[in-house]
Amino acid sequence: MLVFTRKRNEAIMIGDGIEIRVLRVGRDGVRIGVSAPAAVPVHRREIYDQICEENRSAAGTAAAAHLLVERLRKIAAQAQPPASAGADARPSRS
Amino acid sequence: MSHADFVEQLADPGRIRVNTRFGEFDADPRDVLNFPDGLPGFEHCHRFVVLSSMTMAPLQCLHAVDGPAATFLAVDPRLVLSKYRCVLTQGDMARLGADDSSLLLWLALVAVDEGGEATVNLRAPIVINPARMTGFQVVPSNSLYPLRYPLTVE
Repeated sequence: MLVFTRKRNEAIMIGDGIEIRVLRVGRDGVRIGVSAPAAVPVHRREIYDQICEENRSAAGTAAAAHLLVERLRKIAAQAQPPASAGADARPSRS
Repeated sequence: MSHADFVEQLADPGRIRVNTRFGEFDADPRDVLNFPDGLPGFEHCHRFVVLSSMTMAPLQCLHAVDGPAATFLAVDPRLVLSKYRCVLTQGDMARLGADDSSLLLWLALVAVDEGGEATVNLRAPIVINPARMTGFQVVPSNSLYPLRYPLTVE
């Protein structure tokens, strides 16, 4: 990792179009400004990590998702002939 | 990788073999979606296909055709919550190469817990511009929608 010492209002450049500037240094945090091209996504790390985790969890349950689809198919098949009302379509362990 | 590179690397440039838990079939390279940034946690998956079938509807399957194996069950978040709305920034629209947000497609990823209950990630939906066959997952810094919204089928 590259490590820089920066004072208030000093910046670093990444590539041609990305600038990271220290706006304010407080006791509990540092306020940072990021200027980047519109098409470059900029995220708070912890939010990105949370979504990573949820995605891995979603992909990890693909086998269970298959069961869910099977169950939905059965429900759909049962529900079709006389269009029975009140079918419980909540997914559950099968 | 460009579309041309992609076609070139296939043994049969006409079709791409897709292997999923839901079966094996051929997909047309023109149906392949490009995710230049991958998905969070799956940054190396740049190309996906969306699998739909009458029996699975309204659920769909988002399947990576390269990179690490990744298969997701997904649903249009507007079917889960009819008033669902996700605001895109100018930067988001630039990433999609889109001018009109009404022409975009939306998918929310589904996760199934140990008890078999399914939840939908309404916080970070996937948005696709079908005109450019490109998409990404929205990572909002503040969203009122939950990461795990219970999925019930009406």
